[in-house]
Amino acid sequence: MGRQTHELILDAVSQGRPSHRGGAKLVAGTALALAAVPAMGALRARAQTLETEVDVLNYALTLEHLEATFYREGLETFGPDAFEAGVYDNLVLVRDHEAAHVETLVQTIIDLGGTPVEEAEYDFGYGDDPDAFLEVAATLENVGVSAYDGAAQFLTTPALVTAAGTIVAVEARHASYLNLITGEVPFPQAFETPLAPEEVLDAAGGFIVS
Amino acid sequence: MQMHDQLLNAVSRNAARPATRRGILTGSLKLAAGGTMALAFAGSPAFRALEAAAAQAAFGSDIDVLNYALTLEHLESTFYRQGLEDFTVEDFTDAGYDEQVYEYFTLIGDHEAAHVNVLASTIEQLGGEPVQEAEYDFGYQDVDGFVGVAQALENTGVAAYTGAASALTDSGLLTAALTIHGVEARHAAYLNQILGEVPFPEAFETPLSPDEVLGIAGPFIVSGSVGGDDTQDAAGEDAAGDDTATGGTGAAAGGTTSAMPTTGSGPQIPAMFRKSF
Repeated sequence: MGRQTHELILDAVSQGRPSHRGGAKLVAGTALALAAVPAMGALRARAQTLETEVDVLNYALTLEHLEATFYREGLETFGPDAFEAGVYDNLVLVRDHEAAHVETLVQTIIDLGGTPVEEAEYDFGYGDDPDAFLEVAATLENVGVSAYDGAAQFLTTPALVTAAGTIVAVEARHASYLNLITGEVPFPQAFETPLAPEEVLDAAGGFIVS
Repeated sequence: MQMHDQLLNAVSRNAARPATRRGILTGSLKLAAGGTMALAFAGSPAFRALEAAAAQAAFGSDIDVLNYALTLEHLESTFYRQGLEDFTVEDFTDAGYDEQVYEYFTLIGDHEAAHVNVLASTIEQLGGEPVQEAEYDFGYQDVDGFVGVAQALENTGVAAYTGAASALTDSGLLTAALTIHGVEARHAAYLNQILGEVPFPEAFETPLSPDEVLGIAGPFIVSGSVGGDDTQDAAGEDAAGDDTATGGTGAAAGGTTSAMPTTGSGPQIPAMFRKSF
């Protein structure tokens, strides 16, 4: 399935933003450019070797930590009034979903005898701009879908494949909704774009500062 | 496992719930549109034939899985093709929907047609015989009914892919299936949203077995080819789909792997997964 998926999604992420939201688009774009920070080196090394199922699950957990923290912090920063009607409630739900994904992955990794990766420190760069927050949310969710699609093939236990499927579909639902409320097409392509771990880290790793 | 009930409940609960944001949707319209209508057909002879085929199918091969997916994609593709012939953009706006909704329905229809094409050609490349489009009766009478059936089909489709993906033994096909699965989930979230419902009702998607999916979607099929009807009797592994689905749910919802079946009772354990991207 390889192809130039990286470019496709980066294009989609950076180009897809409507012009009237130029400021917010820059935030998401900037994060993509941050990929050179030191923590990236270690992450990259880890991500490139998805040799065991625990590796795959820890890779997924790395992204779920990122998302869970993003929503937890963001909803401490912004209240219901920061968004259009109904959006805040849905964001609370998304936050809870990501926290549940973290919890399930941690427990599964422990049950398999592995050591779950810990939450890191992040800089999402949205400042006090709720629109920018939503743009980053859309980026994270869309990249998340691609990450699961690219990594699921490394899972060998059918039950784990199914479990990953139950998560990635929910990430896709989140992505659809966030695209919609940020003025994007909720389902821009007939097929998702699977991304390899190094491509995902190029896109999302910039948010990780330590 | 009450996944089936969960989904049916979700469908009918949604159907019964008065539309919050859109006064235009009456309870009865949504009721007609939801899975409840489908359930009413469950006693029909065509349904029983489907059920038998599904129980037997249980994925003796990757081609079986792909034909199962193709069966659902045919259903969806035809649904949008016919619906968009039946209704114009004016019908949509007259019913209270934005013009954009019609455009997005067109896009969704295009996606489903693309899924049909890719699945059919993949099956042929693997030396299999793609199932053909059947004849369907979706039972909608107006735009609201059409939109409601769309919502039921897409949400069921996500559950179907989630339940069947693990039966694929070829890792490339698994990836391909997931690239479709995610798009179905996007469609489902959108349709939930425009109907005033939560786009993502649960933290984990509910995987459904083929039996369960056909219980919901099968009644729309009135005649013709059915996924898996040419199965070579899946070597007594007919419970595989259920086991897999159950395991996934247990792992996900319970947050523990203790309930997760190890490979022993699952579908034919893939001897080799290709570890290449």
